[in-house]
Amino acid sequence: MPSRLALLYALLLVPFSLALTTHERLVNLAAAGNGVIKLDTYTFDLLTAPKRNWTAAIHFTALDPRRRCAPCAEFNPAWQAVAKAWSTVDQAHKDNHFFGTIDFDDGQAVFQKLSLASAPVVYVYPATEGSRAPASGKSAPFKYDFSSGFEAGPLAEQLSPHTPIPIPYRDPINWGRVISSGFIGLGVLAAIKFASPLLKSRWAWAAGCLVTTLVMTSGLMFTRIRASPYTGRDGGWIAAGFQNQFGQEVHVVAVVYGLLAFAFTMLTLVVPLQRSPQRQRIQVYLWTTVIMIVYSMLVSLFRVKNRGYPFKLFL
Amino acid sequence: MMLLSSLVLLLSGVISGTLAKSSTGNTVLVVVETAKQSNYSKFFKGLENKGFDLTFREPKAESPVIIQDDVPSFSHVIVLASDAKNFAKDITPQTLIELTTLKTNLLIALSPKQTPLSSLAAEFSLILPTPGSVLYSYFPERADKPTVVPVNIPQTPITSQKGPVFFSGVPFALGDNPLLVPILNAPVEGFAAESTSAEVLVEAADRGGEGLWAGSRLGLVTGFQTLDGARVTWVGGPEVFSDEYAAKEGPNGVKAANAQFVQDVAAWTFQESLVLRVDKVNHFLANTTTSLEQYTTNDNIEFSAYISAYDAKTGTWAPYSGITDMQLEFTMLDPHIRTALLPVPGVPGKYSKTFRAPDRHGVFKFVINYKRKGYSYLQSSTIVPVVPPRHDGYPRFLSAAWPYYAGAISTSLGFFVFSALWLAGDSRPAKKGKAQKTE
Amino acid sequence: MPTAIPLPSNVSPATVANTASLLRIVALLLISGAAIASRLFAVVNFESVIHEFDPWFNYRATRVLASKGFYEFWNWFDPTAWYPLGRVVGGTVYPGLMATSGVIYNILHSLNLPVDIRNICVLLAPGFSALTAWATYMFTKEMKDESAGLLAAAFIGIVPGYISRSVAGSYDNEAIAIFLLMFTFFCWIKALKLGSALFGTVAAVFYFYMVAAWGGYAFITNMIPLHALVLILMGRFTSRLYVAYSSWYAIGTLASMQVPFVGFQPVRTSEHMAALGVFGLLQIIAFAELVRSHVSSQQFKRLLYISVAAIGVLGGLAFVGMTYKGWIAPWTGRFYSLWDTGYAKKYIPIIASVSEHQPTAWPSFFMDLQFLIFLFPAGVVFCFRQLRDEHIFVIVYAVVASYFAGVMVRLMLTLTPVVCVASAVALSSLLDTYIDVREPEVAEEPATDNSTQGAAPTNGTNGSQATTPASATTTTKKAKKPAQPTSALGDLVSLVTSKTGKETVGVFGIDTRLTVILNALGMLVFFVFHCTWVTSSAYSSPSVVLASHGADGSMHIIDDFREAYYWLRQNTPQDAVVMSWWDYGYQIAGMADRPTLVDNNTWNNTHIATVGKAMASSEEVAYPILRKHDVDYVLVIFGGVLGYSGDDINKFLWMVRIAQGVWPDEIQEPNYFTPSGEYRVDERASQTMKDSLMYKMSYYRFAELYGGGPATDRVRNQQVPKVGPTLDYLEEAYTSENWIVRIYQVKKEDPLGRDHKTANSFTHGKKRKRSKPAPRRKAIAG
Repeated sequence: MPSRLALLYALLLVPFSLALTTHERLVNLAAAGNGVIKLDTYTFDLLTAPKRNWTAAIHFTALDPRRRCAPCAEFNPAWQAVAKAWSTVDQAHKDNHFFGTIDFDDGQAVFQKLSLASAPVVYVYPATEGSRAPASGKSAPFKYDFSSGFEAGPLAEQLSPHTPIPIPYRDPINWGRVISSGFIGLGVLAAIKFASPLLKSRWAWAAGCLVTTLVMTSGLMFTRIRASPYTGRDGGWIAAGFQNQFGQEVHVVAVVYGLLAFAFTMLTLVVPLQRSPQRQRIQVYLWTTVIMIVYSMLVSLFRVKNRGYPFKLFL
Repeated sequence: MMLLSSLVLLLSGVISGTLAKSSTGNTVLVVVETAKQSNYSKFFKGLENKGFDLTFREPKAESPVIIQDDVPSFSHVIVLASDAKNFAKDITPQTLIELTTLKTNLLIALSPKQTPLSSLAAEFSLILPTPGSVLYSYFPERADKPTVVPVNIPQTPITSQKGPVFFSGVPFALGDNPLLVPILNAPVEGFAAESTSAEVLVEAADRGGEGLWAGSRLGLVTGFQTLDGARVTWVGGPEVFSDEYAAKEGPNGVKAANAQFVQDVAAWTFQESLVLRVDKVNHFLANTTTSLEQYTTNDNIEFSAYISAYDAKTGTWAPYSGITDMQLEFTMLDPHIRTALLPVPGVPGKYSKTFRAPDRHGVFKFVINYKRKGYSYLQSSTIVPVVPPRHDGYPRFLSAAWPYYAGAISTSLGFFVFSALWLAGDSRPAKKGKAQKTE
Repeated sequence: MPTAIPLPSNVSPATVANTASLLRIVALLLISGAAIASRLFAVVNFESVIHEFDPWFNYRATRVLASKGFYEFWNWFDPTAWYPLGRVVGGTVYPGLMATSGVIYNILHSLNLPVDIRNICVLLAPGFSALTAWATYMFTKEMKDESAGLLAAAFIGIVPGYISRSVAGSYDNEAIAIFLLMFTFFCWIKALKLGSALFGTVAAVFYFYMVAAWGGYAFITNMIPLHALVLILMGRFTSRLYVAYSSWYAIGTLASMQVPFVGFQPVRTSEHMAALGVFGLLQIIAFAELVRSHVSSQQFKRLLYISVAAIGVLGGLAFVGMTYKGWIAPWTGRFYSLWDTGYAKKYIPIIASVSEHQPTAWPSFFMDLQFLIFLFPAGVVFCFRQLRDEHIFVIVYAVVASYFAGVMVRLMLTLTPVVCVASAVALSSLLDTYIDVREPEVAEEPATDNSTQGAAPTNGTNGSQATTPASATTTTKKAKKPAQPTSALGDLVSLVTSKTGKETVGVFGIDTRLTVILNALGMLVFFVFHCTWVTSSAYSSPSVVLASHGADGSMHIIDDFREAYYWLRQNTPQDAVVMSWWDYGYQIAGMADRPTLVDNNTWNNTHIATVGKAMASSEEVAYPILRKHDVDYVLVIFGGVLGYSGDDINKFLWMVRIAQGVWPDEIQEPNYFTPSGEYRVDERASQTMKDSLMYKMSYYRFAELYGGGPATDRVRNQQVPKVGPTLDYLEEAYTSENWIVRIYQVKKEDPLGRDHKTANSFTHGKKRKRSKPAPRRKAIAG
């Protein structure tokens, strides 16, 4: 009666396997997915079973290009990298924490259940049993805060308090940057060697200083620090508000300042060199007109930024 | 100085002594039905003999009001009308609690029925059994009903005399509020029940006592001292105060101690006994007598507190040196120093301690927080800043700084020698140097 | 010589000189008057009151100094600040400002002029602005000449970039610091020009004054070494530089270490290491120069250069090593955030939360500097033209300061002086050229080209571009029309490439002169109007007193702050501790005279985070914190009724962030947002938000104000729930007229030992659930 024996065997095993395999299956899934469990509605429920002695960090995303989720694509490599870093830890700790990714197209029901309307989102589900269950008994997931960007470094840092041991993530060496900075260094050396006349030329330095002051006073640092877009969403290039500006404004304002400064320089330095009265007169009028018009433009631009400004020139 | 102040104390004591025996005032409002007033005549008589000025009021009478314009009209209130379902509208649980915040003492008798006072009891962490339950005890064997229970008085500072106290009324369980002061607990054999019908008892016994309120942890007379210092005493039933019970005789022929017991309870409640106060505290730099506004880190500070107790017999406050377990804390957020504050031998009422201030600047507090069951709370908090040393308070000469001194001295010497040599020198090398400089 | 207009001929040169100097003095006096007067808008529009936040502390400290003397001030321990930690004021303050006011106060009183200390404090900044104008005049005079100096003085006198920090009542360190900055720079330039140890010492003395007055002294500490370093790199090492720098550095550093707050920082922190490094470098170079002048061997010189370079590199490595070892403190956060602009937001939210530390958008530059902002590059060009040592200073200053001003709004203040100087140089060159009445002789047209052709190769000694003008100008004859720009370009190029430049001819005709001068004058007049408008409308608000304008232009004064602070002063015990967000700490201490938990001297992050946690937590969690710190009153600023946007709800996220930095487990920023990530205060606000103490205190009884109508928060434009929050552990004590300031009293522990929630529901007559002694039943039964 081998078949009956097998049946008996199977019957014996069923409850046994059911009891054990939730965790084991997760371990296998994680191993198969390079440290990340590719979730669907069913495995999601497995992973977030109400009784769990493991923690799970789950990444809700929509990677299908049709979903047009640019941040998802941007964040995904960081997520994979951190999960991979986790898969290198000691076996004893590794199986107590899982990384899962659920795509919108695989688990719409989960998204609806959690009423998630945007992606990417990262939830960390704490353990509910065992020594790692929080003392407060809280089982609600912790939501990862994306305010520090989509990089892997802050992600690993912020997830580490929830994992059994800190995630041993290290930023990979950016070879591109190393090489490029090496080239720049060589370039500088070469410049010193071959372009020393340029370096010794005061007007090269003058140009450098002028450009620096012009772009700085046009708010370049503002756009860098605040990561302002180059233009507005509707294509307008003037940001509304006095304390705000777009990238394009830097260029326009710098050019306007530069033009005005140039006109003054011409008037003061070059015009008096002219030996012909007629030509000189034309130059004087030309540059004066340039100053007037450009200055008026500048003031009207400022009026756009500062609505309450009471003065205006010819424009 | 000391003499003068004690003289003043004595004088004020004499004046107050003629008026009342309580440390807080002599006016008492008794809320009791006129019909039952005579039941408690011995109790009232005893109070009047001590100098209290009793005013009686029907539970439903509109006057005299207990509180007017946020000022309590009486120093103490006794509510014996325990059965009253309704009181006049100025006597509500809320106003009674307001009275306690205004330092009025309350003596309240409960009844097995559900009355406004039952809901008030809950605010004092007393947990009443189901309405209608009263205390039963079949031991010791006696002629009385099982609901009239003789209870032996425990030895507490509040009650001194021996002998059984006859009690009938509702027992209550005590919550975990540390402000409660148990005065009289139920006998071990006592239990609370709505009726003594056999079914109830058998059922309870079957369950091994589950659901039965019984035992010596049940309170019968329980005091409560609020953080403000007002005292409230809860009594399970008004009969304890009655003339009838006072005249009773116990099972072994011992005379009932009710008369003295209720006077003791009233004395505690009306701030006659176990009343302490902090007269003053002061702090000096050790071995000086001038009080500083602020201390420097690591100073030796001497802190003293003067404590007196109220003597009801003379009606005066007298220095009291009997506390041996008081602590002084020197606190900034957390206690930096916690030490025993012990009485000074030879100076009655003075407790003193000298200690070194921590090496930490900040705003510190001398804190005395003495809370013992039955006694008035002694609380005192004195703010004093501890500051870093002044700019000239540091050592002037450091041997570790010799390299710097040597540097400064050698530079000065070198400059002097150089100047002397240069001034005395030939003009030739000077010329050379000059030529160098203008180059 | 022909002139454009007839000149009087019978004037002696001495008369001209005397008249000119008299005119200069009169002009300077007028400029001082204008500088002072334009700063009095705040006093005229409001009253003689101390402004904003920090000035209130300075004012309070000054009062202590004036009443108790300097030594007591030096040892002043303020037990009311940072309760209960206290603050060692003497060792944590730059005392220069207070000492200055104290000296003025004592002088006036010794002259029997009983001036109130408050008026001295209010008017100190305008007074010093006149001195700044003078210092700028002196500085610019060294750059070009007196006329440029006068222009620069006039510019700095009224430019909004400087007025913003120096109106009457703005009693802050910057009020005197800019004068000290300019004067130290002037002394440095003078010392460098003359090689004078005396001026070096004067520079050091004023540097010491600056160190005692403002934390921004680090700007000088790095600016002068940078200038010296650039001069060395340009091969302009001279004994003048050596004398000036050594005397300035040695005396200045020793003097600066006498300020208690600075102490040993000049030898222990990275900010000061540049100065030390340049000092060392100068010594080495001076030694090398000395050796070189005595030894002629070519190889030895090379060896010397190599060893100088090696020592420089070794010194740099040693510095890095010592920083790594911890002997030298690394850059402090504030300085570091200037370089790594994302640093502050990540690691020091307190610094990032200050509005002054935000980057500057271009309209702010234009608002503060107006037409100077584009004359400034022109001025830099003029500096490059002559490129004397002092011009290099202006150039370095311009580049560095424009970067800093771009990174932080606050540092606009350091940019303003150099903008004024550079644009004054540019504008005065323009005016010099066009006011000059000498009429040049008319030359033949071809001669121009010839001269250009001839001049360029001979004068253009170096540079590959020397041939360009020649090749460009050869084509002029072929086409007449493009000749104009080409020749202008040629002029420019020849100007650029030659050292001495082409012989300047001058300006022909009166109309050209008038056009340019009138244009310049018009711009100056516009500048004056602009400055007046900006000063009166934007920079003269005390921020303690607000003003709103009605439709008919009438002004309505909103005085809620002082009203509430005075309420505290009159109605609370002297030692009642008031908790508020740190912005208001100085004002409460100054106006209400009550102890505060935290204030604008943000030295203890944990303490601030504690306050943030209390504000961000629910009542039950906050109450033990409040009791532990002996807090009696909690003060919040609420702008929802009036539409005052600088209120605490808008700052709330910073409180959450700062608290989260210390208690990441208990406070989490995302909990304060709606699930969709919005920051809301209406029905949809998250539960954590609604439970927070800050929310409750802000919106307590807010809906009642609208009597059942929709209660709209006018700052956030959201309707708050009709059933407002309830408070158990606190009770409303005071709300100012326009609800801007709301003060709550923290309840004492319940006398019956209940928690306040239970006690409160009992007081309101709610039935308590019957409690049963469940855990004790066994014991009772036994």
